[in-house]
Amino acid sequence: MRKSRFSFAFLAAIFLLPAIVFAGNVDPLVSPDWLEKNLSNANVVIVDIRKVEEYKDGHIPNAINVFYNSWAITKDGLGNEIPADDDLIDLLGATGIKKDSTVVVVGKAEALVDRVNVTRVAWTLKYAGVENIAALNGGYDRWVAEKKGTSKEISRGKKVSYDGQFNKALVADKAYVMSRLGKATIVDVREVPFYVGEKKLDFVAKPGHIKGAANLPSLQMFTKEGAFKSKEELAAMATPVVGADKGKEIIVYCDSGRVASAWWFILHEVLGYKDVRNYDGSAQDWTRDPAGPVEP
Amino acid sequence: MYKGFLVDAELLKEDSHFKMGCTFCHRGNEAGGSRDSAHKGLVKRPSDNPEICGRCHAQVAGTYGKSLHYTTAGLKNGIRGRFSPAEAKLFDEKVFEASCRSCHASCGDCHVKGPPVSGISIGLVKGHKFVKKDEGKTCAFCHGGRVYPEFTGDYGGNPDVHYEKGMMCMDCHKKAELHGDGKGYSSKQEVKDRPACLNCHKIGEEKLLTTKIAHTTHRDKVTCYGCHSAAEYRQCLSCHLGTGASAKPGLVLGLNPRDKKTLTTLRLVPTVRDTFAKEGIAMEKFDALPNYWNSPVHNIRKRTDRTRSCDACHMDRSGFLKKEMLPENGSKANEGLIVTPRQINK
Repeated sequence: MRKSRFSFAFLAAIFLLPAIVFAGNVDPLVSPDWLEKNLSNANVVIVDIRKVEEYKDGHIPNAINVFYNSWAITKDGLGNEIPADDDLIDLLGATGIKKDSTVVVVGKAEALVDRVNVTRVAWTLKYAGVENIAALNGGYDRWVAEKKGTSKEISRGKKVSYDGQFNKALVADKAYVMSRLGKATIVDVREVPFYVGEKKLDFVAKPGHIKGAANLPSLQMFTKEGAFKSKEELAAMATPVVGADKGKEIIVYCDSGRVASAWWFILHEVLGYKDVRNYDGSAQDWTRDPAGPVEP
Repeated sequence: MYKGFLVDAELLKEDSHFKMGCTFCHRGNEAGGSRDSAHKGLVKRPSDNPEICGRCHAQVAGTYGKSLHYTTAGLKNGIRGRFSPAEAKLFDEKVFEASCRSCHASCGDCHVKGPPVSGISIGLVKGHKFVKKDEGKTCAFCHGGRVYPEFTGDYGGNPDVHYEKGMMCMDCHKKAELHGDGKGYSSKQEVKDRPACLNCHKIGEEKLLTTKIAHTTHRDKVTCYGCHSAAEYRQCLSCHLGTGASAKPGLVLGLNPRDKKTLTTLRLVPTVRDTFAKEGIAMEKFDALPNYWNSPVHNIRKRTDRTRSCDACHMDRSGFLKKEMLPENGSKANEGLIVTPRQINK
């Protein structure tokens, strides 16, 4: 009798394995169904990056809240820069994120900027040494649309001493990009009129793109509901531009390093390209230096 | 176009305010058979008169009528020092009542419908539901030019650490501060029980020795903002000049004009010499007050350039007010706010 009870428990544990124990190797784009099954998984940390007041108005149960602006700051006149390492360590420690946590980033899906905020935070987490990162595909909007449960109870992570190893190879600065001109595949992820220099944002000094950069626009990555398209569709967009060699060095950029994080996320986390950097200074940084070659 | 009722059956059930019927607050005529007759005598914003709410909420309405949010006395008295007695009288009649006073907040502006700012309102906060608080829609709307976007990091790019930790306006600015204590203050400077960093963060309880030394050394010489304001904040220019207002980011450090001895964050206040020229007010004593005022900037961070390195102030003097930064034709009192930090010998 004792043995049969043990066998039943063992079989039940095996049955639950895909949903819980393997959370460390989750798909980088998780669905509301997966997240719902893992709401009580101690290793999964759900980070809601919407505004505090939006979070307080309703959120995914057990989600903690750290607004986007805490993950990407203005520094030296550049928008969307990575906070200082010690500030990030404080932030991660205060929210209870450990290097081996599985962090699911949740944001809004309404506009492009909302969607890429999620990938930008995911990139920052990976930079800070969090090994397993994921995004809720379709964001909080999809969670609500699929009638999943919400909560107004404030969740706070249990404070930890964060000791992840920072991964500097995920970031490119201007000097690095300059040194890789003609060697790495540089990808401008802005829309075509910005790539060809017909349009530019006010904070970008010059129109056009970094010399030699290819164009892989970002808007087309998403469905009209704001979720990422399928892996196959994304691969079909990316491969003609960056090639099929998963070991080749790729540097993505946009205007300020926020939108570029979407293609970084897809290339590095979803499609398996090994060496992808985000130039977080992007066109704002590149074009304010007369030495940065730009072409229409 | 029909967009549903602002007050529906569900709301009637869950909010006891509606038990008294619409006319209890809005007047009008419940027996009216047409729109016009039903709306005869309608009061659109009943709580413009706090006595209406005071019939049920006597204590709060009693103090609120004298609170700074309602009287906006701070606006009137802040500029008074620039006027001769005759000009002050003219200002009260022609400017304050007609313009500044329109910024007063009624009970409903915070609890029912967002206040109109420059003619624009967010509308009802949650249908016609009476809400206890919803800072992101109410406080944020009136204080949305400077304070709130600095707090969230939407202006300046560094969120306040308190917002990062999930705190909102009323976690520091308590109900008693907003509703008033029954005294008619002339400005917020007179209110003793205002939020203060030291209420929560005690000097002497720091974990790091270097932090303890820095706090002890600068205590009573530099305000908390002086070191912990993280980023550039909004400096308003040319407002009221007749050519439209403009703003630019800047971190400005100088002497607090109210005590002339404490270093703090300053904000450029956009009063220029001919701000009230159309009303016949020349501001005879314009130079009595500076154009910069001490500002409790809501973008506090544990670490800033100034907390990371003594050099930021004592060598580089970054952010310090300098003569060449002063606005053209500004007040002569501005120069008295310039301070040069002592250079450190290494």
